Amino acid sequence: MLEFARAYLPLYAEGAVVGVGLAALSMVLSIGLGLLAALGRTSGALLVRSIVSAYVALFRGVPPLVLLYLVYFGLPSWAQQLGIRPLVAFLAPLNNRILAAVVAFGFNSGAYSTEIIRSAIAAIPPEQMEAAQSLGMSYWLAMRRIIIPQSARVAFPPLGNEFIAVIKGTSLASVIGVTELMRHAQLVAAATFQNLAAYTLAAVFYVVLVIILQSGVSLVERRFALTHK
Amino acid sequence: MEPHGDRFRVLRLIGVGKRFRDVPALSNVNLAVSRGETVAVVGPSGSGKTTLLRCINFLIPYDTGRIFIGDQLVGYRENRSGLVRDTERNINRIRKRIGMVFQRFNLFPHRTVLGNLVEGPLYVLKVGREEAQRRARAALDVVGLTDKVGAYPDQLSGGQQQRVAIARALCMEPEIMLFDEVTSALDPELVGEVLGVMRRLAHQGMTMVVVTHEMGFARDVANRVVFMESGTIIADQPAREFFGNPATTRIEAFLSRLSLPRN
Repeated sequence: MLEFARAYLPLYAEGAVVGVGLAALSMVLSIGLGLLAALGRTSGALLVRSIVSAYVALFRGVPPLVLLYLVYFGLPSWAQQLGIRPLVAFLAPLNNRILAAVVAFGFNSGAYSTEIIRSAIAAIPPEQMEAAQSLGMSYWLAMRRIIIPQSARVAFPPLGNEFIAVIKGTSLASVIGVTELMRHAQLVAAATFQNLAAYTLAAVFYVVLVIILQSGVSLVERRFALTHK
Repeated sequence: MEPHGDRFRVLRLIGVGKRFRDVPALSNVNLAVSRGETVAVVGPSGSGKTTLLRCINFLIPYDTGRIFIGDQLVGYRENRSGLVRDTERNINRIRKRIGMVFQRFNLFPHRTVLGNLVEGPLYVLKVGREEAQRRARAALDVVGLTDKVGAYPDQLSGGQQQRVAIARALCMEPEIMLFDEVTSALDPELVGEVLGVMRRLAHQGMTMVVVTHEMGFARDVANRVVFMESGTIIADQPAREFFGNPATTRIEAFLSRLSLPRN
């Protein structure tokens, strides 16, 4: 086992880098979507709020694997069939496996981020908004300068957990051939017939990644806290 | 209306009313505050004192009547069919002329004292960093906390936080300051330092409306005392008269239940 690990460590490490990169990009999309949707839900008109609710309900309900298939196999070919050229061009990037995975995981995780960020905004006492407005700040200036910076500190730990969930979820991208950690494990297993060793090593990699990430989150959380005593 | 007196009038309320659903919170409130005046607003809890203050800077929209800061109508625009709600921009334009200090300080916990003080000047008044910091230092000097520029709010005592909140409002160089029971959330031994700052401001000629339960402060510092009950103003008298010769038996009863500190 040790020898096996030594032999394939570089390959797995390569896959881990791809996986973490994929998760990081997905998370950027997820938080971007989540922030927009949460602001829409907090401040928007009824139509905006309904769209956000529908987005959250839909993308929390669809399993990420199904979403991945839809995005990678479904959307580009659907555009081809319709034959609408701008749509084909618009969806063409989804033929890139990595991009398709980022979109699928980002939109899936975005539904969770929406809820996390929405509740983080709701956790800030309304007096903060009043204090900002009493200084003559507009609603959006107060959001940007006072409410969101405080919400970010509240949302950070659960978003860290979400990042961890997304990292583990990237193993799904192996099914569309993204050469991340799980994909490498499959290839090694197929080549060596050492299934247990191949997948155990992958499991160890995931665990180590998650532990590193978790301690990183805790570290930043402490730095970033709203209390300074 | 004498034009001379009007020119020095900072705040004017005419027949102001406010209902929360079916409950009247304010009815037919008339009040005028001139430049440099300190007006104490007292009365039993639930009498509408806080609502009154919040209507002045339109944190609560009033329903009827008119409120003027200078000659600017607060929160509404006059048109042919009556009053229509003003734009957010215009409401903010008035709010930055009014300083407000809250019962629970409401400092921004993610910013240092300096950060709290420069926020308004920088992003609302857009005065530039140097001027904002000059104002912050000057305001901290007024409240006696120059050594706390770098501290975060939760590293300060309640009294210090409230003094920072006063400084934050001062940095906007407001025409009038509203104080909403600013010592009610403080430990008794911290009340004095906050009242001391307010006393100094009053003596420096700041125009102030002070909702308070501190009768000693009302008596010693305020030019006028306004007594409210059930959303209306029962009495509006010079402080000396208010305490020396209560206008109604209701006020006499209110005062007799409070122990007034001796001079």
